[in-house]
Amino acid sequence: MNEHVNPVYLEDKLDEIRADGHLSYRSKSLPTWCPGCGYFSMQEGLTIALNRLGIAKENAVVVSGIGCASRFPFFVDTYGFHTLHGRTMPVATGIKIANDALSVVAIGGDGDAFAIGGGHIPHAARRNVDITYMVFDNGIYGLTKGQTSPTTAQGFKSKTTPYENLDMPLHPLMMLLSYRASWIGQAYAGRPHHLAEMMTQAIAHKGFSYLHILSPCVTFDKTDRTYGKLNMQVHDLSEDHDTSDLIAAMQQASAAEIPALGVYYVEDRPTLSEEMDEISRRARNAPPIAE
Amino acid sequence: MEQPRVGTDIQFAICGSAGDGTIAAGDIMKRAAALMGFKVIAFDIYPPEIRGFGKCISRIRISDAQTYSLKRHSDVLISLNDAHAIPHVGEVRDFGAVLFEDNSIAELPEGGHISAHIRAAQVPYGFGIREISEKATGLARSRNIAALGYAAGLFNMPPGIFHQIIAEKFAKKPRAVTEDNTRAFDAGVEAAARVFKLDDVSVGRPLSAASGADAVMMTGNGAIARGFLEAGIQAYFGYPITPASSIMERMAAALPREGGRFLQTEDEISAIAATLGAGYAGARAATATSGPGLALMTEMMGLGVMAEVPFVVAVSQRGGPSTGLPTKTEQSDLNLAVYGGSGDAQRIVLAPTNVEGCYRCAGMAFEIAETYQTPVVLLVDLYLSNRFETVIPPRKNIFAPKPRKTPKMGKGEEYQRFRLTESGVSPRSIPGEAGLTHTVTGLEHDEIGHPSDRLHNEMNAKRHHKLLPATHFPGLTTQKRFGDSGKVDVGLLGWGSTFGEILETLYTAQGQDIRVAVMKVVMLSPLPVDEIAAFMDDCTHVLVPELNFEGQFANMISGATGRPVTRLTQTTGAPMLVDDILAELHRLIDSPAPPPTSSHRTAEGVRA
Repeated sequence: MNEHVNPVYLEDKLDEIRADGHLSYRSKSLPTWCPGCGYFSMQEGLTIALNRLGIAKENAVVVSGIGCASRFPFFVDTYGFHTLHGRTMPVATGIKIANDALSVVAIGGDGDAFAIGGGHIPHAARRNVDITYMVFDNGIYGLTKGQTSPTTAQGFKSKTTPYENLDMPLHPLMMLLSYRASWIGQAYAGRPHHLAEMMTQAIAHKGFSYLHILSPCVTFDKTDRTYGKLNMQVHDLSEDHDTSDLIAAMQQASAAEIPALGVYYVEDRPTLSEEMDEISRRARNAPPIAE
Repeated sequence: MEQPRVGTDIQFAICGSAGDGTIAAGDIMKRAAALMGFKVIAFDIYPPEIRGFGKCISRIRISDAQTYSLKRHSDVLISLNDAHAIPHVGEVRDFGAVLFEDNSIAELPEGGHISAHIRAAQVPYGFGIREISEKATGLARSRNIAALGYAAGLFNMPPGIFHQIIAEKFAKKPRAVTEDNTRAFDAGVEAAARVFKLDDVSVGRPLSAASGADAVMMTGNGAIARGFLEAGIQAYFGYPITPASSIMERMAAALPREGGRFLQTEDEISAIAATLGAGYAGARAATATSGPGLALMTEMMGLGVMAEVPFVVAVSQRGGPSTGLPTKTEQSDLNLAVYGGSGDAQRIVLAPTNVEGCYRCAGMAFEIAETYQTPVVLLVDLYLSNRFETVIPPRKNIFAPKPRKTPKMGKGEEYQRFRLTESGVSPRSIPGEAGLTHTVTGLEHDEIGHPSDRLHNEMNAKRHHKLLPATHFPGLTTQKRFGDSGKVDVGLLGWGSTFGEILETLYTAQGQDIRVAVMKVVMLSPLPVDEIAAFMDDCTHVLVPELNFEGQFANMISGATGRPVTRLTQTTGAPMLVDDILAELHRLIDSPAPPPTSSHRTAEGVRA
């Protein structure tokens, strides 16, 4: 489904963009991604989301792991931490626990999240740390020049699966739903306006929000997850989907090869920081525990 | 054999089977002695299994002057289980006492009774431990307390203090438990009143009875936790592992009360990752682990060095490699703590040598980490983590954090997180501070923090040079010399818990007219090389005793100074014996100088 776009004049559009203010969230460094990479949409989307939510630059921290997606913090003008491969979740948790006033956004690719970092995600989700996790899923290891990832489709040929990938890919949405992340949604790099809106909602959510973003790797995947194929396959979640119904969300997530875009599940429950404050309150009212 | 000192210097060993109340009896003895105003060092050994019939030993040294290790020979052995205690009869010195059950209720095989193993020079005190307990309480369960009362009676220790400690210990149990145990204790005292006294060792009056109330009995781990708390720790992240878990458990109990935050993470990687995240965000954050956990943490340690993030990692070593010996002590994670990780990742490593040192180093660790913007490792071992010592903490908190200074920027000046300065320390901003946004990374970077290999050499130099002044950090003892001044026959270099035995060796050797000096090295990275080299200049032989197989500290010293040292290494799972160090010291004195560079003594005494 294509979005309807009215014809615009360049000067008018530039004025509109400058007046909007989201450009001030861009850093002076130009992105190092390949031309045509879906991740440019993410840079635009996050600056729009932060601007819309009125989050001051100094109160936003973007935490990333290692990979193409994880170069992200250098391209926005906020506080940023480009950490180690797979470790965005615990580092972001530490930052949030140290200062609740910060808006913490963790970013990683599919390999960073679900291969090396897969063990941390359920714990961040179950604890409901008030952070946003955006996984840019292009189904490939791009930075190391095209190896298979945990979300690569079966039958795909890459440098590490020259005779075809026979491993079954993971299903990130089903994983996060079963981990009870308290906000779960999916977006697509080829639909930037919807993406920006989803990023805004994800960051605004109180608790652990997980946004899965489908994105083509234009350099190392010429056959499977291309703009052409994704544009044909993506569709919106039905309007009457009940986001408080976990089982319905799982049914929606497993209904099609490429699951629908939109918000799958939302739950309001205490965040990790709120739980810790509650523990502090109880500890102060309890007799001291002997050493 | 150590000579009894003037005044009080007595060591009790209580040995039994798990479930006999061995550790509990030892606990009451050490707390009572501390309350009486004595200096106490105590160390318990128990099996890794929680239940079963493993051997438990509690050793308690009580003295009126500060001591630094347990004695090789105990003065008194209390057996609550002969099968376990028989191998320990030998550790009782000549004219020392062995207390045992002389009214066995079961038929024993030949040699099964401890009385058959007591040497002629030792003094046997057989009595009906079970009978005393049963008469006093109707049950045999208070055997441990009855035996404790007997020992207290033998040395005329004031029962009132024991009553107080017994009441505190069982405060959460029904009152009958306190009453029964108090009766059993008094019955033990009463039984000892009618026997002859051991007269060449005594428990006198402590030199400073007033300090009893100020003295706090702490384990090394307890001291680390206390130091962290007084330093205003804001966040603790941890994953359970022997022998570091008690730091974590203390934090779980105490930190929320202070308004701090505690989280048990899913593994050691996330523990240190969250600690680093919190440190990056400006909090005083720490984690604690042992060798296997530190192995998992090394990658994050490197990130902390590269991104210049302050945080603290306490490491309590146990036997290795791999899962190794979880409940036995060793000093074999030195290389990992100092060098672990990829690249040239110099960090600060502090290794306190006694419980008070644990408290001080933990208290100062955050300030050091913040000053140099780097991870600080606090390296101890099971022997130091679990042993009890009396510490008198200062009345006023000396570790409280000072207010942070936000970097000031000139007009139009661009903030550079990693600016190359003369000291190597760059102005650090933390998230939330306006106008100073930046991104830090594990990639090599330029002064702004952007990925670049252009300044790799300069940045490596900065990360190393900025740490060097830490060897003279104000208020911190990074090294210290003891013993004879000037030229000496043998100099002993020590680190960590083994330094206690090294110091005891010094005092013994000085009594034998040997010119000897010792140096403790607390800061293992960066190493106070000048002071160590100056010390070595004075020594004909340099001996480095440590509890690992390769002589990791000896290698480090030898490499840093380019001079030969003699290694004394052991991996027996137990603290090194003063007698072993003394024997090697005598061997060196009898051997020609300069010493052989490859002399290498192992636990089996093999010289390679």
